[in-house]
Amino acid sequence: MNENIQLIKDGKRIDGRAFNELRELKITAGVLKKADGSAFIEWGKNKVLAAVYRPREVLPKHLTNPYKAIVNCRYAMAPFSSTEEHGRSGPNRRSVEIGKVAKHVFENAILIKSFPNTMIDVHMEVLQSDGGTRVAGITAASVALADAGVPIKDLVCGVSVGKIGGEIVVDLNKEEDNQGSGDMPIVLSLRSGEVLLWQMDGMFTKEEIRKCFDKAFEAATKIREIQEAALKARCEAVYQTPEEGYEAKPDKFTDENKGIEVV
Amino acid sequence: MSDSEKRIVLPGETVSDSPYRSEGTFVENGKTYASIVSLMYEGKVIPLKGYYIPKYSDYAIGIVVEERFNGYVVDLNSPYAGQLSSRESREQFKIGDVISAKIISVNEVKEAVLVEPRRFWGGEIIEIEYVKVPRVIGKNASMLQLLKQYTKTDIFVGKNGRIYLKGGDTALTSLVILKICREAHTSGLTDRVKEFLEKETKTGI
Repeated sequence: MNENIQLIKDGKRIDGRAFNELRELKITAGVLKKADGSAFIEWGKNKVLAAVYRPREVLPKHLTNPYKAIVNCRYAMAPFSSTEEHGRSGPNRRSVEIGKVAKHVFENAILIKSFPNTMIDVHMEVLQSDGGTRVAGITAASVALADAGVPIKDLVCGVSVGKIGGEIVVDLNKEEDNQGSGDMPIVLSLRSGEVLLWQMDGMFTKEEIRKCFDKAFEAATKIREIQEAALKARCEAVYQTPEEGYEAKPDKFTDENKGIEVV
Repeated sequence: MSDSEKRIVLPGETVSDSPYRSEGTFVENGKTYASIVSLMYEGKVIPLKGYYIPKYSDYAIGIVVEERFNGYVVDLNSPYAGQLSSRESREQFKIGDVISAKIISVNEVKEAVLVEPRRFWGGEIIEIEYVKVPRVIGKNASMLQLLKQYTKTDIFVGKNGRIYLKGGDTALTSLVILKICREAHTSGLTDRVKEFLEKETKTGI
């Protein structure tokens, strides 16, 4: 309990935030050239890279489902992402679990029934972690899916809510996550108000859970604005009307844009 | 035609309060929502991203990827491959052959059946984003006419985002097509392309 006292000082949290204040959040869409869609999220000290590949042939073939697309989710932590054990060597219990819960999120967000017999790959790579990487990864992957042009029902927003020193707070960092009395990552679809992911660690009363959800919805509204801004920045060119003589001569006729030669 | 009328809609945004069937949208509880990042323009939803899904009566450019005892499997630049029966043509195809074909049927799992195969000889193929194909063709094929007129290239545009070019100034044609793709949703594009073509054909490339 001693630690809990340290976590909140004069009504402020350990990093000087108010109870329902998010860490600084920045999303950039389309950072990778080879992936069909990608996004990079910087959320406080978290840095997560998400990449999406469009529907393709299912491999191994026996997993093919003629009714819907299969969503493959991979969550991985880079060996240098934190000072702790995770990410040290390939898949482990934790990363398999997060991959699985993320898979369920995207199965409900993507219009999977329009793509029978295919497979959609979603990758989330944590480069630096500081608490709440699964929600950061899912938030980024959602932007990457929209960037890839995969039809989705909504941009999903993830946020972690928790209890420290008897107070309900939003967006926990690593200290709060480890020392606090409970935390719950929540992924929401704001359009329909659906909860797509809800995990919990610690003890909460019924009232507290209700309060957590109120705060999560409030935070998700802010997150969604940032997701939208990232996607709109990507499509900015639509609004540009090239001026006179604007790049009248495109780059040289290089091998890259030459295409396939028919023999 | 002012640009302010154009609006970007993102997945999950309400497009219409009544059911409305279009590419890049879905209907839930009687309302229409966008499912793809699109451009909302004059009440229409124009997807800005996406990939080709075989559709009945489309002409597509495919690459033969597999030979079977009764036909061929053709890659259509799409998650779904096309099936071409060897009865459709007296010609024998080889793996790697580039053909144009018509999609005669698409079943529940989106497998496409192809007919009227035509093999391409010589020339070259460029791949563009599927959503930009309508820009390359233009209203009443105006853009395509313009390209053919200035560059003297034979152009075949497949609905799946592959374009076949042969003869004439193919290098210039490729450049202009890339320019069209880059400026796809800007206004006055045909005029700018015409200006560019006039300039280029006069001075030579």
